[in-house]
Amino acid sequence: MTGLASVVVSLVLVLVFSFDARAQGSFLEHRYPYTPNEALPGADRFVKKQGYWEGYKGNKMVGVVLLSKDWTPNLVGYAGKHLETLIGMDMAGNLTGVKVIFHAEPIVMIGLKEDNYKTFIRQYVGKNVKERVAIGSGISMDAITGATVTAVVQNSIILGSARRTALKSGLLQARKTEAPRKVSQAFTAQSWKTLLDKGAVQRITIKPEGVGLKAEAQPYLDLYFALADPPAVGRNLLGANAYEQAKAALGKRGGSILVVVSSGPGSFKGTGFVRGGIFDRFHLEQEAKSFIFRDVDYTLISEIKAAGAPPIREGGIFLIHNKDFDPADRFAFNLVLPVRVGTTGKEVKSFEQTYRIPDAYMEKAR
Amino acid sequence: MSKKRFNRRDFLKTLGITGAAAGAGLVLPRTILSEHAQKQIFEASTAHAAEKNGGQSYDVKPGQLDPYYGFWSGGHSGEVRIMGVPSMRQLHRIPVFCMDVGSGYGITNESKKLLKGTFVGDTHHVHGSYVNGTYDGKWLFVNDKGNNRVARIRMDYMETDAIVNIPNAQGMHGTFPQRYPKTEWVVTNTEFQVPVPNDASNKANFNKPQNYYGMHTILDAATMGIVCQIMLDENVDLAACDYQGKYSMSTSYNPEKGVTLAEYLAADSDYLIVFHWERIRAALKAGKYKTISGVRVLDGRKGSDLTLRIPVPKNPHGINISPDGKYGVCSGKVSPTCSVVELAKIDEAFAGKIKPEKCVVAQPEIGLGPLHTTFDGRGNAITSVFIDSTNVKWNLDRAVKGEKKPHVHVLDISYQVGHIMATMAETKEADGKWLVSLNKISKDRFLNVGPLKPENEQLIDLTGEKLVIVKDEPAYIEPHDVIMVRRDLVESKVKHRYNMADHPMAVHKNEIVRKGNDVIVRMTANAPVYGFQEVKVKKGNKVTFYVTNHDEITDLSHGFNISNYNVNFVVSPYQTKSVTFTADKPGVHWIYCTNFCHALHLEMRMRLIVEV
Repeated sequence: MTGLASVVVSLVLVLVFSFDARAQGSFLEHRYPYTPNEALPGADRFVKKQGYWEGYKGNKMVGVVLLSKDWTPNLVGYAGKHLETLIGMDMAGNLTGVKVIFHAEPIVMIGLKEDNYKTFIRQYVGKNVKERVAIGSGISMDAITGATVTAVVQNSIILGSARRTALKSGLLQARKTEAPRKVSQAFTAQSWKTLLDKGAVQRITIKPEGVGLKAEAQPYLDLYFALADPPAVGRNLLGANAYEQAKAALGKRGGSILVVVSSGPGSFKGTGFVRGGIFDRFHLEQEAKSFIFRDVDYTLISEIKAAGAPPIREGGIFLIHNKDFDPADRFAFNLVLPVRVGTTGKEVKSFEQTYRIPDAYMEKAR
Repeated sequence: MSKKRFNRRDFLKTLGITGAAAGAGLVLPRTILSEHAQKQIFEASTAHAAEKNGGQSYDVKPGQLDPYYGFWSGGHSGEVRIMGVPSMRQLHRIPVFCMDVGSGYGITNESKKLLKGTFVGDTHHVHGSYVNGTYDGKWLFVNDKGNNRVARIRMDYMETDAIVNIPNAQGMHGTFPQRYPKTEWVVTNTEFQVPVPNDASNKANFNKPQNYYGMHTILDAATMGIVCQIMLDENVDLAACDYQGKYSMSTSYNPEKGVTLAEYLAADSDYLIVFHWERIRAALKAGKYKTISGVRVLDGRKGSDLTLRIPVPKNPHGINISPDGKYGVCSGKVSPTCSVVELAKIDEAFAGKIKPEKCVVAQPEIGLGPLHTTFDGRGNAITSVFIDSTNVKWNLDRAVKGEKKPHVHVLDISYQVGHIMATMAETKEADGKWLVSLNKISKDRFLNVGPLKPENEQLIDLTGEKLVIVKDEPAYIEPHDVIMVRRDLVESKVKHRYNMADHPMAVHKNEIVRKGNDVIVRMTANAPVYGFQEVKVKKGNKVTFYVTNHDEITDLSHGFNISNYNVNFVVSPYQTKSVTFTADKPGVHWIYCTNFCHALHLEMRMRLIVEV
C-alpha cells in the first residue's frame, strides 16, 4: 500500500531502557501509529507526491494528507522537538483529520494527560485553512490550559504545514504577489510621530475590559511594533548602536528585524520564553507561513530613541532569520493574551494587526 | 545636620592625622596643609547642603537594564564581580583565583588546570582590553597580589580563560593593558622587591635586601605568555599605559629598598618610573637580556635608557592618565599633593633634552592622603583622599596654570576611600556621569552584621558642578578597583550559550568507557534528565564524569552534585565540564541537579552505585 503507512509504523518506538539519551528522554516522548486514512477518512487510495499524498476515493481525488515534518521541521515545541503531525484536508481546504504522531511535550508536568492534548487537537477538524484560525480565535486552550508554548507551536505547525501543502497542491490559490519591492537604505532622522503617521510603526491598544478586567481609562496594553529593516525606521527607533548591532547579529544568514515595545500593565512577552525559549504571546503570519520567536533571537531594549517617543515598560528586538519571511510583503502581527474569567478561570484571546512597510521606506519602483 | 557633619568629620580628621603620624613613626608629615587651606577645603565640603543636585537617579526600574557594566575586583575573595551601574545590583561573580563551589570552579578538571592547586588570590585591578583608546569588550585582565598571577577573563562568557604565574616577582600589583592602537601588551608590577631568582639557587641573597629587585613585567595579551621583565632597584605598584602605545608607567614608593616601615618612608622623594616601549622592543631584538626563571629580563636600573625616573614627593600611589592623553596624575599618599606629569615632555626627557623633574607641570595640594585620581572628561580630576575621607574634584587646567588649590568641590565620604573611578574614565570616552568611591570602612552605615563589616561603595552623581552621593552600597571583601563600561561596548559581545565545540570532549553520545581501574562516564544533561539513570562503578575506581548541557534555551543551566563526594558544578547551555575522583565510599550516592532547570528539576537525579 502506501509509503506513508510504513513511515508511520516505523516511527513507533519501543521504549527500551538502555544507556542511550533518547531512551532517557522517552519518559516524556509519545508516539502514535496513525494511518493516513485516519486523517482523510473518505479516501481509500493514496498516491505519493512530493511532500504529500493525494487521497482518492475510487478515481476521484478527495483531498491530501501530509506530514508536518516535511513542511515546518523548524517549528519545535517546549521540549525542543518538532510536534510531528499527520494532517488531512479535503479539496475545499477543510481539515479532515489532525493526528499527532510524535511529541515530547512535558504536559504531564502541569497535570495534563495525553487525552487533553488529543482533545485540543480535535478542534482543528473542520477548520478551513483559507480562514483565520488562531489560539483565542476559533481554537480554545481550555483542554490544555497552561501549555501555551505547546499550543502556539502546534497551531503554527498545523496551519503552516497545511497551507503550504494547499498552495503546492493547488487546493489554495496563492495571493497575487505584488511587483517586487526593495527596502530603501536611505536614512533621514524622523521623529516618533512621523514614524507613526507614515505607518512605519503600528499600534495595538487593549483596554482592561478587553481582557476581563475592570474598565479603566489607561490601556491594559499599548503596544507598538515595526519592521526595522529600513534604516529610516530602525536607526530612528533603536539608535545607531543598537540598530547596527541588530544588523550585525543577523550576520551572514540575513533576515529581518522586528521591534516590539509596550507600556501598560499587560505584557506581550509573557513568561513562556523563560521556560521553553519560545514567546507564546505573539507571532507573525504571512501568507501560509507563521513565524514564532525564540529567546535566541531576542534582545531586550528599554527605550525608543526616536524623538518624542513615549517611555516603554517592555521592549525587544526580535530577529527573523527564516528565509520564507518577505519584509516587503504584508504580514499580520498576532497577539495572544490570557483573559481572566471569574476569579480563577483563564482563557486566551487573540488580537491582530496587519503591517506592511510603507512605500516611503522602499525603493521607488522602476 | 551640618553640625553633625562637622563633628564627625572633625573626629575623623583628627583620627586620620594621628593615625598617619603613629604609622609613620619617625617621619611626621612635613607638608600638611596650612590652616588656611584646611579651612578653605572644609568650607567647600560643608557647603553642599544647599547645592544643586546633578539630578540623576540610580533607580533602574524592574525589567529595565543598567546603562553601564561595572567590573569590580573582589580583593582577597579572589574573584571579580559584575555590577549594574547605577543600580549597583550585583549581577555576577566570576571566580578567578579562588574556589567557587557554586559554579564548581576549583572542583572541575577544567578549572583545576587553570588554578594548578592555588586557590588563594587577591584581586586588585580589573581593566578591559582596548582598541584605539576605548574598550573593545573582549577581555578583562586582573592581578593576584597574593600569588603573583595575572588572569584573563573572556568577556563573551565572562569566565576566566587563562592564568599566568609570574616568576621573579612578588606582590603583583597595578596591572594595565595597552590602550593604543590595541591591547597587545599588558603590564604588571612587583610591589615587593625580592631576590631574583627567588629560589634556592639564590639563597645567598635571601637576607640581603640591597640585592632585592622590583620587576615591571610585560605580558602578551593574546597568548598570556611573558614577553619580558624590566628589572629595577625600586618597587613598582600602580601602573598605567599612555594613549599612544609608547609608554607604560608606574609609581614607586620604595626606591629605598627598605624592608621596614621606617625604611620605606626614608626618602622625601620617590618616583614615577616610565618605560620606553620602542627601546624595550629594540633591546629584546638585540638580545640584551638575561634569561632568569625562563623569562627574558632586561636591566632597567638607573643608567638604563629603557626607563625614566621622574621624582615625585614621598610614597606616591596611583598613576592615572587624563582621557585626552595629555597628563598623568600621581597621587601623593604621604604627600598632600598630586603631581601632574605632561606626557608630551617625556620624549624630551628620554632624549636628555630636559631633566626628568621638568615633566612635572603642576603639583596642587589636594588634601591629606591622596590615593587615586579619575576624570570626568570635562577637564576635571577627582582624587580620592584617604585620611581626610573625601573625594576632591579639581580642575586640571587651573592646576597647570599654577593654582595650588584648583578645587571645584570637596565631598565627605563614608569612610576612608581607597580607589575612585568614574564611568569610562580610563578611556578617551570618559563621560562624567557617575563616580564610585570605593570606601574601605563602612562602620555605622549598614545594619550591624557582626565584627566583619562590609565595605561601602558610594555612588556619586558626577554630572553637576558638585559631587552628590546618591547611594551607599555594601560590598563583601574587598573591592580595590573598578571600571565602569558603557553597556553598548559589552552587551553585543556577551553570549547566552557556549559553543559546544569549545570543549574537545563535549558529549554527543552517552557512553561509559571502562579501562582497567578507570571509568569514564560521558553524559548529557537535558532538562529534566541526565543521560543515564544509573552508573555502576567498583570501589577504588578512578571515575571521570564529562557532562554536556544539551539545552539550548537561554538561562537553562544544570547542576551536578554527587552526594557524599564533595563534588558540585554547573554546566550552562552547550557547556561541558568534567570531574575526576576516586570512588572510595561504597553505597548508593544520588547525583542530582543543583541548579534549578525545569518543573521536574527535583526529579533530575540519578544513582551512582559504588559496588564492593
